[in-house]
Amino acid sequence: MKIVVCIKQVPETNDVTIDPVTHNLDRRGLAGVMNPFDKNAIELALTLKDSRDDVQVALLTMGPDDYAESLREGMAMGADEGYLLSDRAFAGADTLATGYVIAQALKKIGDADLILFGRQAVDADTGQVGPIVAEFLHQPQITYAASLRLSGANEVTAERLLEDTKQTLVAQLPAVVSVRSELNTPRYPTPRNIQLSFAKPLTVWHHDDLDLDDSRLGQAGSPTIVTKVYAPEPVKRKLTPLTGTPSEAASQLITALKNRQLI
Amino acid sequence: MPSTTAAAEKLLLQMVDDYTHREISPQDMAMDAAGDFPEGFLAKLTETGFLGIMLPQEFGGAGFGPEVTATVLNHIARGNASTAVTLEGHFKTIDQILKYGTPALQQQLLPSATERIFAFSMTEASGGSNPMGISSTATREGNHWVLNGDKIMITNGGLAQVYCVLVKTAPQELSVFVVDQDMPGFSFGKREDFIGLRGTPVGEIVMDHIIVDDDHLLGKVGDGGLIGDSAHDDARILMGAVLTGIMEHELKIATDYAKERKAGNTPLTDLQVTHRKVADIALRKETTKLLYQRAAQLKAAGQPYSEEAAMAKAHGSRAAVSAGDDALQILAGYGYSREYPVEHLIRDARAMEIAEGTVEKMRSAIATAEFNK
Repeated sequence: MKIVVCIKQVPETNDVTIDPVTHNLDRRGLAGVMNPFDKNAIELALTLKDSRDDVQVALLTMGPDDYAESLREGMAMGADEGYLLSDRAFAGADTLATGYVIAQALKKIGDADLILFGRQAVDADTGQVGPIVAEFLHQPQITYAASLRLSGANEVTAERLLEDTKQTLVAQLPAVVSVRSELNTPRYPTPRNIQLSFAKPLTVWHHDDLDLDDSRLGQAGSPTIVTKVYAPEPVKRKLTPLTGTPSEAASQLITALKNRQLI
Repeated sequence: MPSTTAAAEKLLLQMVDDYTHREISPQDMAMDAAGDFPEGFLAKLTETGFLGIMLPQEFGGAGFGPEVTATVLNHIARGNASTAVTLEGHFKTIDQILKYGTPALQQQLLPSATERIFAFSMTEASGGSNPMGISSTATREGNHWVLNGDKIMITNGGLAQVYCVLVKTAPQELSVFVVDQDMPGFSFGKREDFIGLRGTPVGEIVMDHIIVDDDHLLGKVGDGGLIGDSAHDDARILMGAVLTGIMEHELKIATDYAKERKAGNTPLTDLQVTHRKVADIALRKETTKLLYQRAAQLKAAGQPYSEEAAMAKAHGSRAAVSAGDDALQILAGYGYSREYPVEHLIRDARAMEIAEGTVEKMRSAIATAEFNK
């Protein structure tokens, strides 16, 4: 069984600025760390690997050369190999263009039974790339999984945690799943595994290594246009004070609710 | 792209900082109050591979070098000095087995050093800074050595399972043997109730007719003084690192507080008296850091480092006590309260003016080295 975990490197600081021209996040010069939610996806893959002899775990990310650091960290946690998709042509991609390149890379890796994502990245917070990849690959997808188990030779069962309800979904493999942080507590990479991770294979694929439609790449291939980034103004609400004794205040409240036909 | 070594060290320190922030720092105050590690604390530290950081990979460790190993203890001590000192005692002991143990002894013992804590014991009731004052003996009987004696004030004593012990093999001859808690004749004595580094167990072992083979001797008969000095040197680098971590903790507490607190209408950060104290804490922290890193660099390069290691501990221990005193004064009444960690950081730092050789002995060693130049 082959599991590919797609991860992202995000700025270490919360003090991210917005590029005044593109209105996108300006990540230049910022130290990066692995997106914390992606560690839950890696932990899930490694837990499955711990429980079976036939599981291989690969990591995949797209970004500049220094994104290899997050791949190494994931390999130090226990993943077997890493793939870095790195090319100037990929720069400035939105979630659709990113998802396209990742999907093309997954096709090249081939035979992935399970493709895992963290629920979202903490820098842009969209949570879109996993579902986009699933669509490109024409595979079933389960998002926000709070638990997952292999429920048959060729299927997974996941509990999907939504705001006010839980869903239990079964998907045929191969499938794409994004996971919530409630799923597990990621393991630490041990010092020895950190050292040994540098002997594990890390493959770098550039533009020419993949079968790509150039019109779908980078900023030119990104339909998302950020026109403005702003903090919404707080909504000013009308305040009607309730006065008098508690009994009088309660009467006023009931009258007000009746007038609005709320009770 | 950075070198593999630099990239691995960066990843290691990233993991150590994360682990310290999430697992170690939150236990700092509780460890001081309880005088012990919390339940499961050491098991998790062991499971995460901390015991094997500097152990060569051939024995199952990670094989990181002296500089980054010291830096790891520096970073851990920012959150809790006791945890860092327990690792210091373990690492310095492994170092001596690597330097002076036979290949057979190394193969026998060191693979377990990722799971078992090791300790080095020199002090006895009759001698601490004066090793010739000790009474423990190893006597030759047939093809074996028979060890008898009582070692006290051992860092990790009672916690460790493997001990290097300094004994007399003749009235004026010191040697070091390795004993294991599972050997017949081995027992634990009392645990010390020290005022600082209260999470680190410091205790006694009793050797009552422990029989060991020649391969449990480190170096040669009579090498005890040399090996003891070597253990001190290695420990002093790591203590310099721990002291730097304590001062970084003290500095953070002092600056965080000063940034929030006013004296009347004046923020503490605008007061010259605060500037003086904060600058002094930062200077002490930075000079100690440079000293321990210098000693670690020399060790990594295979150069002599005894004097520099003594400087790191001699300077760093008083510096950390003084820095804690300044931090306490900035926090005033809160600094004097057990609700804040400053007072226990002073007690923690004070231990290192005594442990691994007193500061008086450090200065004597530094002066002797200077006279010999």
